[in-house]
Amino acid sequence: MIQIKKRRPAEDPMNSGSLTDLAFLLIIYFIVIAGFNVNKGYLLNLPEKDKPRIVQQEELMRISLDAQGNVFYQERALSEGELEETIIQQRLSYPETTLLLTVDPDTPYQEMVNIIHSIRRLRVENFSFRMTEEAP
Amino acid sequence: MIKITRNKRSPVVPVSSMSDIGFLLLIFIMLLALINQRHEVKIDYPEAETVEKTQMEHNLEIWVETDGTFTVDGKLQTTAGLEQIIAAAVVDHPDVRIHIIADRNTPYRYVNQVVEVLQLLQHRVVSFVVREGT
Repeated sequence: MIQIKKRRPAEDPMNSGSLTDLAFLLIIYFIVIAGFNVNKGYLLNLPEKDKPRIVQQEELMRISLDAQGNVFYQERALSEGELEETIIQQRLSYPETTLLLTVDPDTPYQEMVNIIHSIRRLRVENFSFRMTEEAP
Repeated sequence: MIKITRNKRSPVVPVSSMSDIGFLLLIFIMLLALINQRHEVKIDYPEAETVEKTQMEHNLEIWVETDGTFTVDGKLQTTAGLEQIIAAAVVDHPDVRIHIIADRNTPYRYVNQVVEVLQLLQHRVVSFVVREGT
């Protein structure tokens, strides 16, 4: 009787299947981490220094922000909702309204960001800001 | 008559080289991450409900802490130093995006110092970095 030896299946010297998974998981981890470094926020156009823009008196809306984060318009303190309502009303009368924000030097940055957020939400295009002059 | 039947092998896709490819990709991405390493300063980010992506291909990050400390690429800077760094960055890449990353409790006067430097250099666009939140 002739005996035919069966060939043994070639064995993988090192099972590398799990290594592939590990490598790809690490790749995904690094790609996700890279995404965390993307800066988000608000893009602002800075006004030119010492080059005033001519704006009609009626189209200029001056608001100020004090050190406690209170917003004032025509010497009246406004809440966030009232400010937005005032801007909407002003823009109904004067669509080209320019908003000039004067910020107190001691105002926390977050308060400034809150105002910018409101302005962006209302899509006010003409927006300028400056800091109140500090006493020497 | 002797019948010899051959075992037909089922087709297998060799995956042993996949780990090599995987690790090469991994090394490549890790190196990229090292090149784009960010010197982060521990600050409390300001938050806003809606934000937009302000990142560009070339970016310069100016960190402002509550005490008015300016940091660029992990090094402390004065306003004069900032002026030089911004000017050099603009010369290298005219489309460079300047990001002001300030702590939420920073008095505005310190942020304004950076703004004034940018105005002085006639750099018109600035990004105020904000974290998306409530």
